[in-house]
Amino acid sequence: MKIMPCPLNGPRNISEFTYGGELKQMPDPQACSDDEWADYVFNCDNHAGVVTEWWLHNASSYWFLAERHTVSDEIIRTFDPKELFDRRVDFAQPAARQEVVA
Amino acid sequence: MAILQAQDFSERSPLYPRHVGARLGQLGNAAVVAGYGDEDESAQLQRCALIDQSNLARVGFRGSDAAEYLRARGYRLPERPNQAQPQDDGCLVARLSQSEYLLLGSLRDAGSRIQQEEAGWQLGDSANYLLPRQDSHAWLLLTGEQASEVMAKLCGVDLRAEAFPPGSVAQTSAARINVIVINAPQGELPCLQILCDRASASYFWDALLDAMAEFDGRAAGIDALL
Repeated sequence: MKIMPCPLNGPRNISEFTYGGELKQMPDPQACSDDEWADYVFNCDNHAGVVTEWWLHNASSYWFLAERHTVSDEIIRTFDPKELFDRRVDFAQPAARQEVVA
Repeated sequence: MAILQAQDFSERSPLYPRHVGARLGQLGNAAVVAGYGDEDESAQLQRCALIDQSNLARVGFRGSDAAEYLRARGYRLPERPNQAQPQDDGCLVARLSQSEYLLLGSLRDAGSRIQQEEAGWQLGDSANYLLPRQDSHAWLLLTGEQASEVMAKLCGVDLRAEAFPPGSVAQTSAARINVIVINAPQGELPCLQILCDRASASYFWDALLDAMAEFDGRAAGIDALL
């Protein structure tokens, strides 16, 4: 079986993992357009080459990042998300929507 | 002495219908399998045995302040994730990630210390959050010299003593369900503490007993542990 090195648990069978999609930069939810937000939520680059992806180790519910070549399926590196996400993101309170009166 | 029935207790192991022919004993507010028959099961435990500890207390804590909270409560904590630290009173603390700890109760106090940890926790300003584990997981104990060979039939991780010494924790898949396996010998007796999804306990119990059959492994009770 294919083996993936989990940053927390070490090398494990690929069947212990779940794919979580491409790593994407989140646009500012207050400032971006609906198209930009939809692109972030729904669309994938589907790039042929080395991509960074979210993966979950099921047994420990641990999310991490993996650099993988989508053509050869070679896993180049896996790492803890803290390498990229090193500060808390606080979301501003969305402005109260005005009620639509029919 | 009146014969205990699991149905007399409100807290029951998910496996209680499987304990056919077992002699029950009382463990706190629940029944636990004391043994099968009247013989001493020590030799069976030393060879290969499976014990249901689902009625023994367990609880988790997570958060950036969890370690500090537990140290203040008198626990010695493992230094790294996927390690376990036995406590002097028989409790066991396993570290499941940078900031998550699993506390397993001891038979010596019928799990009362860990029960109190769960009952006494309150949400405050510090980042230390309770993870109730009593109703999410079942807890089995696989004992004996053949324990790692039994697990080799079900699990992809090398759980032999050379690769998985006492104090090691593996969060992995066994018999195709998620499990936490902890190597925590009791004196000279090799022991693997196994926690699995509670709703899958009946399936996993059978899968383990099936894997144990070639080593003459059997279900046993807690009397031989005490």
